[in-house]
Amino acid sequence: MHPGRWATVGLLTLCLGSVDRVHATVTPEPSATNLVDRVRNLLPFLVTATTLTPQAVEQAPAGGATVDPTHLDMPERLEHDLREAITDPIGQTRLTVVGGTARLGNYSLGSTETHHGHLVVLKGNAEIHGRLEGNLVTLDGDVVLHPGAAVVGDVLAINGRIRGDPGAITGSSSTLQPREVVAHVAVPALIGRRSLGLLAVLATFTVLGFALVTFGRPNLEIVSDTVMHSFGRSFTAGLLAQVLLLPTFGMLVVGLVLTVAGALLVPFAAAVYVILAIVAVLGGVIAVAHAMGETITRRRMARGLAVSPNAYRYVATGLMGMAGIWLAWTIAGWVPVAGPLTFLLAALATWLVATVGFGAALLSRGGIREDFAGRLLPAAMMTDEYLWATPMVGVPAVKRPPTADR
Amino acid sequence: MITRGTTLLVCLAAIVSPPRLAAQSMRTYAASRPVTDTGIPLRASLDFGAGRVVVRAGDPAVLYATTMEYDAERYTPVQRYDPRTGILHLGLASIGRGGLRVTSREHLQQAARFEFAPGVPLNLEANLGASEAHLDLGGLAVHDVTVRAGASRSAIDVTKPSGVRCERARFISGASELQVRQLANLGCREVRIEGGAGSTTIDFSGAWSADTRVTATLTVGTLTLRIPRSVGVHLDATGRFLSRLTFDGLTRSGDSWQSANFAGAEHHITIDLTTNVADVTVEWID
Repeated sequence: MHPGRWATVGLLTLCLGSVDRVHATVTPEPSATNLVDRVRNLLPFLVTATTLTPQAVEQAPAGGATVDPTHLDMPERLEHDLREAITDPIGQTRLTVVGGTARLGNYSLGSTETHHGHLVVLKGNAEIHGRLEGNLVTLDGDVVLHPGAAVVGDVLAINGRIRGDPGAITGSSSTLQPREVVAHVAVPALIGRRSLGLLAVLATFTVLGFALVTFGRPNLEIVSDTVMHSFGRSFTAGLLAQVLLLPTFGMLVVGLVLTVAGALLVPFAAAVYVILAIVAVLGGVIAVAHAMGETITRRRMARGLAVSPNAYRYVATGLMGMAGIWLAWTIAGWVPVAGPLTFLLAALATWLVATVGFGAALLSRGGIREDFAGRLLPAAMMTDEYLWATPMVGVPAVKRPPTADR
Repeated sequence: MITRGTTLLVCLAAIVSPPRLAAQSMRTYAASRPVTDTGIPLRASLDFGAGRVVVRAGDPAVLYATTMEYDAERYTPVQRYDPRTGILHLGLASIGRGGLRVTSREHLQQAARFEFAPGVPLNLEANLGASEAHLDLGGLAVHDVTVRAGASRSAIDVTKPSGVRCERARFISGASELQVRQLANLGCREVRIEGGAGSTTIDFSGAWSADTRVTATLTVGTLTLRIPRSVGVHLDATGRFLSRLTFDGLTRSGDSWQSANFAGAEHHITIDLTTNVADVTVEWID
């Protein structure tokens, strides 16, 4: 093989190796400890839990680590407290057990012995041959009940098992197994899934937008013009409307209930109110898309590009512009800090669009009133020159981009 | 032919390509308790927000047993039993990270199995949240049962007679699909159904041992009552605002409906119905 080819193969191998390292930082790979745990779980009788020297745990000084195994009803909390108590080196662990004692490493209760009080065994097995009067907890170890054993109390094995005769326990027997990451979501799959979702939403809005253009174009254009010419007013109206939406609904229901005949209309009025609100928001969003698309298209035309200006193009262009904001989140959403920030920005932008659209829809009464659409010019502008220069169809003079000779 | 430039590009793309993300951190919790001779009935309350749930009769020597596979990032297991009162609280509690919301399909990977001793009198309250549940109460000595289904799909079977008299069964469903089959095997004196915007089907087949009174309150939902034809039926529907009632085979008299065999039937079912914008159907089992 050519030396250059070897270098290429080497480079490729190096790169793949580096990718694995990147993965390893995020997804916990099976470590040697995990492997031992797995083997121990599979073959509990063959592999001992630990090589720690068995020893008693001294009581913690006042204000030190304390656990109360009287009630084992919240096992994860107890596990958390026990793990917090374990120090490094482990031999210097100090722990106060309310009503009992703690042991480190394997522990065995002889067949002729009786232990009074609760017993906590850390990092080891509890081999019970005799009688234990109290609750028994093991952390990272098994409870082994040998013939003749008796536990008058509850037993909890955290990251361990209870082996032997379960009838030896008079109280509850419970086990809490270690965590297992069961599902991994590959980022390309995540991006693919989100992209499909975005595409579906875009397609839905496009269909709705095209339907609106086909069947309600004059109204859509008036709402769209309201967005363009009264943006701030539309935003304020939309904001106020969001605040007043629920109180108005409440007043409507109360008003209807107060009248005898109106009470019967409550379900219908409620349904109509909700539908109207949804239509206003959706229609408003499509109108904003129309306004965005119209602005973009006219700018392109002003630059001399030959594009056909029509409402379908406006809506499609505007919706794609809106989708672009979410596309950024779709691609970068997995990044730890930037992802949530992108989501926040996209959500904020969408809310802004919905608020403006909703406000414009309300201001124009669903595209009926032209008061805020910039179509009614003040009398001062109605000069002979303006009226002479303004074409009857096409681009109004007031919207024309400024030319160099002006 | 792999060129150096292509390789460099592949390397660059591979290095900057996003890694895999860890999804759920699942743990398994198992608990059980032997039966004692105290004779105290078990008052069990089960909570399981999301996932698959199975409830059934278990080992007669074991008062209760459970195995729960749960998302440790969102929930923590709870097992609280008071031997003096027989009150048992079993299930999952939210740990405040994400609450009980089910926001993706992965959250439904949780699973739980709850088993109870067949011979011990049982008052059962199951809060199923958004779980997909199957409860087989057959063989359990149920005195009182309440099932709350939020946004779940639940099926309750009573596959065999319990042998004891059940005082009350309550089925409270939200936007869920709830199916109860062979309810007569439970022999409940009183059945209460509170339905939301969901679909509820109650099947009264099984071994009838006594008369039953059903109280159903339904809002924006569908209720289907499946009743054996041999059972005498009397139905009162006083409040039925904008509801569609389909009571084929029953004779109407004002706000009441009654089956022709009511006077002579061995067993009777009396139904009080209050509905708002609901759909209620009585179907017959031959």
